[in-house]
Amino acid sequence: MAISTTGRRPAPGRARPLRRARPGGPGRRGLLLLQLSAVVAVLVLWAAGAAAGFVSSTALPGPAAVARAFPELLGSGTYWQAVGDTLNGAVTGCVLAVVIGVPLGLVTGTYAAAEQSSRLLVDVLRSFPVIALLPVFLLVQGSTPAMKTTVVLLACVFPVFLQAQYGARSVTPMIAETVHGYRIPKLLRFRRVILPSATPSIMTGLRLAATTSVLVAIGVEVLTTLPGIGHEVVGAQQGGASAQAYAYILTAGAIGYAINLLSQTAERRLLRWRPPTHTE
Amino acid sequence: MSLKPPGTFWTSALKQLWLPVLCVAVLLVATAGSTSFYFPPATDVLATLWRELAHDGLVDDLLFSLRNIVAGLAAATVVGVGAGLVIGETKLLRQATAPLLDFARATPTVAFVPVIILTLGIGSGPKIFLIALGSVWPILLNTISGVHGINPAVHESARSYRIPLRLRLTKVVLPGALPQIFAGIRVALSIAVVLMVVSEIYGSPIGLGNFILQSGSSFAVPETWAGTVLIGILGYGLSVLLLVAEYALLGWYHQRPPRTRRTKPTPSRNEVAS
Repeated sequence: MAISTTGRRPAPGRARPLRRARPGGPGRRGLLLLQLSAVVAVLVLWAAGAAAGFVSSTALPGPAAVARAFPELLGSGTYWQAVGDTLNGAVTGCVLAVVIGVPLGLVTGTYAAAEQSSRLLVDVLRSFPVIALLPVFLLVQGSTPAMKTTVVLLACVFPVFLQAQYGARSVTPMIAETVHGYRIPKLLRFRRVILPSATPSIMTGLRLAATTSVLVAIGVEVLTTLPGIGHEVVGAQQGGASAQAYAYILTAGAIGYAINLLSQTAERRLLRWRPPTHTE
Repeated sequence: MSLKPPGTFWTSALKQLWLPVLCVAVLLVATAGSTSFYFPPATDVLATLWRELAHDGLVDDLLFSLRNIVAGLAAATVVGVGAGLVIGETKLLRQATAPLLDFARATPTVAFVPVIILTLGIGSGPKIFLIALGSVWPILLNTISGVHGINPAVHESARSYRIPLRLRLTKVVLPGALPQIFAGIRVALSIAVVLMVVSEIYGSPIGLGNFILQSGSSFAVPETWAGTVLIGILGYGLSVLLLVAEYALLGWYHQRPPRTRRTKPTPSRNEVAS
């Protein structure tokens, strides 16, 4: 360090980033190493906890046992079938929720009267735990994949709707007035003004809905006889193969994580044009 | 939510109430003479709800569920805020744990329901654990990003005045992150209600979830609807209570224009904007 400072006088402008980088910026590779070591630390803690036997090995098998369960599962058809069933229900419900929620949200977000009238109703409905409707749906629709889709749809429609509404409201008054003043037709206004400015917010809603959809789909499978990841977890745990159950749980986590990463990338791609910030 | 002059109170109440009232009226009229097996008259459902609450044991179920939710959420809040303050304050820790925490949050806790209930039993403890396990993540992540979002100038001046760590945490960092912490608790509440219902449907001799399961599988339709309505009321009631608490604690925040922050407080990565 001494050599480098004698060789060149540090320019005052350059000194700052250097000083900043030292305490917290370990660089890209360093960061990855840091995160990896955190993962390893958690795995070690997990293994220690399982070995110490605070809880029986049926409740918490060690990471090695869970890792051993994976190759067998990955080769089997039931695993992929279960993943497919869960994703099928989740994606269908989520897409339907977007188809219904976004237009409704944009319209109610644009017209203040519609927003005001629907506020209380939406407020009550969205805090309703959809999974509580399961017994009712079981009665009415029976234990079918369509029922799973309906439950997912109901759970996902509110985040999408609310974010779309919030986005539509975020059009600045100046722009709204300009559009109004130039008598731009309604359809054009929706397509070219309101939709683009609501997109960031809609993307947030999509991300929330995507995560919720997997959660709800698995919840439904745990509670009913419908096939899917949730059903496999129940089956494995009841059959005493808790390592397998954990393998399925980790799969569910990986799906959720992947959805999150994908939607973040999509968001960044889609919104490259976005003007710096929204006004508060 | 917004503060308005008192004269417009009635017009705004009218504007907000006509649709819900209309919906309830339509519901009452449409199902009034209903002979459909699945959709009994709404008045029947309400009467059943009242009868179950007043004479039969539904109150016990309600209390059981309520206790579990409150205990689970309280545990999650304590753990989430505590750990969040530490992780948010320490840059190294924050960077190291970011992907892990994202993964943990993305893992659906409902999948743990069979694992935990089959091994730990059907009592109250495993349910509280499940609720805490599921609802800790939004609180933790929101606390971290709330601490992170505090204006660096505030942080630096607190540090340069050598304000003791404990005082700094309780007087500077915690209040600064509180709006976002509450946003996290709101998300956690909805997760907690879902986990309450699932854990009680899956394995419980008591509780609202068990009540709707039992009445559903014995084709007691009015009872099923009544239980469902009660869960809805519970969920909405708790979220209103939370909002009241938020306004009591965060009056200073809601009454003045947003301060300069690096991140917007409300629509964070975990929160629905509204």
